[in-house]
Amino acid sequence: MKTSVVFSAVLSLLSLASRGSAHGHHHHHKHSDSGTSSASAPATFTPPQVFKNVNLVHIVSLEKNYVKESINVVIENIDKEVQSDYILPFTNEQLSRLGGLEVRDRKNAESGPFVVEPVEFESFGPNQYVRIRLPTPLAPGAQQTLGITYYLLDAYKPLPASIKQEEQQFLSYSFSAYCPSVYATSKQKTEVKFASTNIPDYTKLPGSGDVKEFPQKQGSKLVYGPFDEKPAGALELVQVRFEFNKPVIHISRLERDIEVSHWGGNVAFEERYDLEHRGANLSSLFNRVKWQQSQYYNPVTHALKEMKFPLRVGSADPYYTDVIGNVSTSRFRSNKREALLEIKPRYPLFGGWKYPFTIGWNSDAKNFLRNTATGGFVLNVPFLEGPKQPEGVEYEQVVVRLILPEGAENVKWTTAIPKSSISEAGVQIHKTYLDTIGRTALVIKGRNLVDDFRDRDLTVTYDYPMSAVLRKPLVVFSSSMAVFVSLWLLSLINLKFTARK
Amino acid sequence: MDSPLIEVWHAASGSPFLPTVGKGTQFFVASLLLLIGFSLTGAFTLNRSIVNLLLLGIPASLAFAFGVVYMFCAVGVYV
Repeated sequence: MKTSVVFSAVLSLLSLASRGSAHGHHHHHKHSDSGTSSASAPATFTPPQVFKNVNLVHIVSLEKNYVKESINVVIENIDKEVQSDYILPFTNEQLSRLGGLEVRDRKNAESGPFVVEPVEFESFGPNQYVRIRLPTPLAPGAQQTLGITYYLLDAYKPLPASIKQEEQQFLSYSFSAYCPSVYATSKQKTEVKFASTNIPDYTKLPGSGDVKEFPQKQGSKLVYGPFDEKPAGALELVQVRFEFNKPVIHISRLERDIEVSHWGGNVAFEERYDLEHRGANLSSLFNRVKWQQSQYYNPVTHALKEMKFPLRVGSADPYYTDVIGNVSTSRFRSNKREALLEIKPRYPLFGGWKYPFTIGWNSDAKNFLRNTATGGFVLNVPFLEGPKQPEGVEYEQVVVRLILPEGAENVKWTTAIPKSSISEAGVQIHKTYLDTIGRTALVIKGRNLVDDFRDRDLTVTYDYPMSAVLRKPLVVFSSSMAVFVSLWLLSLINLKFTARK
Repeated sequence: MDSPLIEVWHAASGSPFLPTVGKGTQFFVASLLLLIGFSLTGAFTLNRSIVNLLLLGIPASLAFAFGVVYMFCAVGVYV
């Protein structure tokens, strides 16, 4: 890898081609303009009481190292007019950690996700609102079943906050046993799912009907409710503490570069991770001897030892480096059915520890790139690949940079990632080897994503005219011709001494 | 989101992008072109005339042009 870089650097000098810095000029085009229009927005917002939650099931899944919440709710229009905006409340604090919000019709799975947008208003209070636009307005008295799912990152607190390296890790999580809603709810229950049956502490509430006490424990599940009629905004804070003897992996930033080469017939991937473990810290210094001895028994541990990246079939030439250099503790198994990259960090990761690293690989262009009928090109790549871990992976910031060939134009894109998780997107210029004007780079920034969105597509179409294709050889050709012409001109200069006549 | 781009992708399933020179032969093609380029340059230096500039310089430059691009790709810098 290193030698090829040096070699190509020498080559690029020889060919007199200009080589810009890796971070050339950036032309930002902001997509979202949220937050700037607050001046014209109303100062306060009171959601109109036009709906009623007839029946609501709130599922809080604490099985992964992020929280997945699903709200399945039958809503009824109790107003005299048709209504199309259902409002969902979140606290400011929640909204900064919220990701992947999707709303679908539970009765009609084929209809795509509904449009979801924040309610713009000037607020100094603790709450923010999200507006769900129903595709067909609901008539007075009519009902509809909504399936709302979203993820909360950085959700847990380890309790105790520090433990010994061989001890079990416990996490705690607080939420409301009544599903937060701006509408009155006739009937509801909250199910809390865990990865293990060991749930030592949870808040108990007085029961209703023939149930003495909530929650009811069913294996690795706690059920709060069913509760009877609750007014709008009713909350009942509860806390659970549960065993989670797995790493709490948090990726604060992932930079994913996808570089398309038409000349080489290659698509190159590089991913730079800022990874940290947000679980319980060590209460005493890390004991390498004790760690190594315990490895003989391969115990369940909250330390992160290994990550598995199932790449697309056909991936080749993988590399794995960190700040020190190449990391040799990795394996790559590639055949017709799979391309699995298994990496071990340089050290086991405990709570509060960080590990930034880089991986990359190549693939033939034919796996991701096709010619369109109109003479352009269409590219289809996963928006996110990343490790596949049983405990899940959460991403705070994801920057996908799709580097197209120099001179590619008319870039159009679409992605299956929820729109609410895309914070910014635009076309920039990226300069690297053998470039004159720089490559067209589509940069998409996502936030608060989780590994459930792994393998969701990013589809891009672009044009790459022949004049742009031939730019690179033309640059080398003209440089070379300049050398020949100067050699010829030099040959015309007479350097010989001639005798005077 | 709009799905026309996905349809474009599915419609193009029969025409995957294939490069003019495949990955396996890039190094050979690049070496050959560079060798031709250097040989022609050698021939040109023996007799630097305007005729040879056109006769040898242009083909040599063409060989260099594509040779350099393919040599970049062959060593793993996919330009």
